[in-house]
Amino acid sequence: MAADDFGLMEAVRADREGAFEQFVERYQKRLYRLAWGYLRQHEDALDAVQEAMVKVYLARHRYRPDSHPYTWVSRILANHCLDMLRRRRARPEGSLEGWQEGNPGHEVIDERNRDGPHREHARREFRRRVEEAVSGLPETQREVFTLRHFEEMSLEEIASARGCALGTVKSSLHRAAASVRKSLRQVEGLIEEPGQ
Amino acid sequence: MMGRTPWSCRRTRGRLTQSFYRLLGSRRQGAFDRHLQACPACRAEWEATRTALQRIDSATAFPFESQVDWRRFTRETVAKARQAESAREQKALPGPGWRGRRPLLAWGGSLAALLVALAMMLPRSFRPEAPQTARPIAVSAESTRSLQHNVARQGAARYLRDSRSLLVSLIEAPVRCRRADGAYDLSLERERSRQLLRKKNLYLGSLDGPGDQRLVDLVEQLEALLLQVSSFDDCTTARQIHDLRDAIESRQILMRIDLVTRTVEGGGSRV
Repeated sequence: MAADDFGLMEAVRADREGAFEQFVERYQKRLYRLAWGYLRQHEDALDAVQEAMVKVYLARHRYRPDSHPYTWVSRILANHCLDMLRRRRARPEGSLEGWQEGNPGHEVIDERNRDGPHREHARREFRRRVEEAVSGLPETQREVFTLRHFEEMSLEEIASARGCALGTVKSSLHRAAASVRKSLRQVEGLIEEPGQ
Repeated sequence: MMGRTPWSCRRTRGRLTQSFYRLLGSRRQGAFDRHLQACPACRAEWEATRTALQRIDSATAFPFESQVDWRRFTRETVAKARQAESAREQKALPGPGWRGRRPLLAWGGSLAALLVALAMMLPRSFRPEAPQTARPIAVSAESTRSLQHNVARQGAARYLRDSRSLLVSLIEAPVRCRRADGAYDLSLERERSRQLLRKKNLYLGSLDGPGDQRLVDLVEQLEALLLQVSSFDDCTTARQIHDLRDAIESRQILMRIDLVTRTVEGGGSRV
């Protein structure tokens, strides 16, 4: 049976064989998503996660179990991302704006570009519209929608994670999806069947 | 029967997302499906909704995540972490010369302690005369004080340098607040300011030399600025940052920190 988060952290602190590997494996995707939220650049997000994990490993004996290990790690990562953003601001050529406008230096890392620039443009536009629509939702709806679509959680898991009734999750999700759908009407032509 | 009443287009379109998430009960789902079979316009709308919502998945939010070989990433991360730790350990280990001399030094230390203890136990007549002992004690107290003073000056210089980087990052590269438009997230800077303020008193007490006045003045002026930063909200307005920048520029704080720290770290006795 997999160790719970605190147990795993304890094993990492005790330098138990394979514990740190398991720790990295358990959190890396969640942390990547967190880093992506800050940095919006794939390579930078991966670097940030790796650097944060190195920091965690070096500081593992200083960890105090009064906070959840993920909270501790995510705080380290968030600080690291903020530092990276500051450095990026000092070097405007690598800015977020540049990437969003389709900075050619960053396009090379996107495997999807192989489909052609128009399709990639359409995907980017679709993503942008979805982000806009989701960020405009009321907080509960936004959270429920994000957990269902981006974290791919079931409705029961969402209810349990948020500590609310299943009915609340259902109604919030329905309302959120209706709003998002309405916002996406303008980009109807950009929507393609999944898997295409 | 009421359950068998055909649904209107309006009612059907109001249930599109519920059907997508399978939130309709079997009876309602049946009515929904029957309407779609009979109504091409609603069927088209359903297809568009289904396609749009299916497209919004983790790949939309994190478009490159699926390209990562996570197993390899784990291996590389673990290797990097272990490498970093062994590099740190190598750095922390003293050289072999030191290790070789260590027993000798320990033995020397014990011998010195033994001699001091013996001297204390000797009868008064075997002790050196009072005037002869007074002088070395006075010299030692003075050198201790001088050492303390130097440590305080170096500490104050470090404090100034840290405060400088904090102020520079704050006024030159503030990070946008994720919670409020047009505001800046200064939570880290605020915490750092508080830490620096807590350290300040460690240095100031020992900076009482005649040449320390400029250093003390600057540390105290910085205190006002750091207090201002530490009182900011998590999401600070651009106006507040602008005011802070004005205060820093009008007092030429950054330039003065440069001058003062250069003098202290260059070994200058006067600031």
